[in-house]
Amino acid sequence: MEHNQLVCEDARVLANEGVGPRLFVVSLESPRIAARLQPGQFVHLQVPGMPDHILRRPFSVFDCDPQAGTLDILYQDLGYGSHRMTDLCAGDVASQIGPVGHGWQAPTGTERALLIGGGVGAAPLFLHAKALLAAGVAVDVVLGAATKAALATYDAYTALLGHAPVVATDDGSFGFSGFCTQPAADLLAAHAYDHVACCGPEPLMRIVAQMAADAQVECQVSMERRMACGVGACLSCVVDTTDGKRRACVDGPVFESSKVVW
Amino acid sequence: MAQVNMAVNLGGLRMKNPVTVASGTFGAGQEYNDFVPVDELGAVTTKGVSLHGWEGNASPRIAETPSGMLNSIGLQNPGVQVMKDDYLAWLAPHDVPVIVNVSGHSMQEYVDVIEALDDDDRVDAYEINISCPNVDAGGMTFGTHVPSVEKVVGACRAATNKPMIVKLSPNVTDIAEIARAAEASGADAISLINTLLGMAIDAKRRKPVLARVVGGLSGPAVKPVALRMVWEVHKAVKVPLLGMGGIVTGTDAVEFMLAGATAVAVGTANFMNPTATHDVIEGIRRYCDDQGVTDVNELIGGLQC
Ligand SMILES: Cc1cc2nc3c(=O)[nH]c(=O)nc-3n(C[C@H](O)[C@H](O)[C@H](O)COP(=O)(O)OP(=O)(O)OC[C@H]3O[C@@H](n4cnc5c(N)ncnc54)[C@H](O)[C@@H]3O)c2cc1C
Ligand SMILES: Cc1cc2nc3c(=O)[nH]c(=O)nc-3n(C[C@H](O)[C@H](O)[C@H](O)COP(=O)(O)O)c2cc1C
Ligand code: FES
Repeated sequence: MEHNQLVCEDARVLANEGVGPRLFVVSLESPRIAARLQPGQFVHLQVPGMPDHILRRPFSVFDCDPQAGTLDILYQDLGYGSHRMTDLCAGDVASQIGPVGHGWQAPTGTERALLIGGGVGAAPLFLHAKALLAAGVAVDVVLGAATKAALATYDAYTALLGHAPVVATDDGSFGFSGFCTQPAADLLAAHAYDHVACCGPEPLMRIVAQMAADAQVECQVSMERRMACGVGACLSCVVDTTDGKRRACVDGPVFESSKVVW
Repeated sequence: MAQVNMAVNLGGLRMKNPVTVASGTFGAGQEYNDFVPVDELGAVTTKGVSLHGWEGNASPRIAETPSGMLNSIGLQNPGVQVMKDDYLAWLAPHDVPVIVNVSGHSMQEYVDVIEALDDDDRVDAYEINISCPNVDAGGMTFGTHVPSVEKVVGACRAATNKPMIVKLSPNVTDIAEIARAAEASGADAISLINTLLGMAIDAKRRKPVLARVVGGLSGPAVKPVALRMVWEVHKAVKVPLLGMGGIVTGTDAVEFMLAGATAVAVGTANFMNPTATHDVIEGIRRYCDDQGVTDVNELIGGLQC
């Protein structure tokens, strides 16, 4: 495998805005990472101003502009560090390691792909959708969220696809009422896919993996684990796979779902 | 500005500077090579290796705690053969001494690991880990009682003539007694501290944060404990010490040397700052410059009290 060169870069905050309930997008100037980032890779971010919280936090990159040298992270305020992130202001500086990990890779010859994002799991699929569309692949996107307000990536996907993505909300406030696995199953039954990509809560990924296996479609999932080093050295982040325990940070976060032992 | 002599001798292991890495926090150097060329280090210390490899513990394996972290990796490692074929092969062209951290579930396994590696000249020294709190058999159970320390260290000593560092657990009542036992049984150097046994609880879920429930505490939070133990052991033995536990800066490293360490290891700090080892080396050099110290060896045990 080709060596994925890592850098540790001081990223400058350009903007940090609320985009939904407890949901924010932070835009960062991080030219060296943005230049080489592949869809599905992540950054290992040191949230400034909390030195007694010693670990970095891993965040997938939602959108990236290699020319401008910028990248966006969609994040949920759900713990100490992510809460501190909501205080970031334009001009603040945060150290980040990146681009980390093994991202999405649709099989060669893929003509049609199904992307399924649950909650903030919609974020790491966005650059994958972009790249697939640029390569002439037909892309269907299913997004799931708790409520309509939490569908923070809806507009971005609509603009990218040229039409609205398929949507499911837990409370039925928008789109299909219920879990997004139902519309995903309907699409899998209706079309011949070469590739499925899913990111979201682990139960969602497990169900999608099973559906893809039943439909005999290649499927990839992005796994979330607690991470210390974020570079492959400490073995904090392992995922049980058919090849043994593999590191989510550098062997993943994207794995073939058939290899994951759920 | 006079050139500072940074070279030290750790029980027969010559290091171009006093800084190595704490086992298990740096792989075998490859993963951090984009940030710090491994050749910059005084020595590289590998993740613990057992004879045929271990799977390690279930996830979650880490928890963040105030100024520190808990880990319960459980010595996941691929075994001696992969150590040779991959890690030592990668290290071979690099100009850096290699300390292999040795672990075992039984006394015999420690000896077997050493025997499997001993004629490999890419291995410069061993660090015998009798202090891992994250495995049920072996590990810390060997390192907390004088008779078993004597047995394991004695058996390892008989298996090699290479420099042998014995790594001690802080989870003991009297660290000096354990250190004396290791020295008397043939240790060329003593390293300390391994992690402190600890625990983290998620009150909301009423569950432990770690799958294994308990784990080892490391990082800045443990530094005062580590310094105290290095100082106590320095007064108790003659062999050189490799000090570690919460070292983040060059000044931290100097404190360990003043307490009696000949060399130091940077561990958890690598996770915070991937160039931590480089920064610690430069920090020690700067301290020496500022203080008019021309030989870093002057610092060892230089505490005035
Ligand atoms: C590869 C990867 C990509 C991710 N991408 C995103 C993203 O795009 N958007 C987003 O909102 N979140 C993402 N996450 C989850 C994000 O890392 C956590 O929400 C974040 O670390 C929580 O930190 P905290 O300080 O708020 O929580 P705390 O609970 O205070 O954190 C304590 C410790 O636990 C870790 N931790 C807590 N929750 C998680 C979690 N769910 N996953 C991993 N580590 C956790 C923290 O990193 C920290 O070390 C991703 C995780 C991984 C592994
Ligand atoms: C993730 C992790 C893995 C570790 N693995 C090992 C190991 O394999 N063998 C060993 O002797 N010590 C191991 N240790 C202990 C460290 O080498 C060191 O003794 C301890 O972390 C204290 O130093 P620090 O505070 O600088 O990290 C590990 C520590 C951590 C945090
Ligand atoms: S986080 Fe250290 S190996 Fe993945």
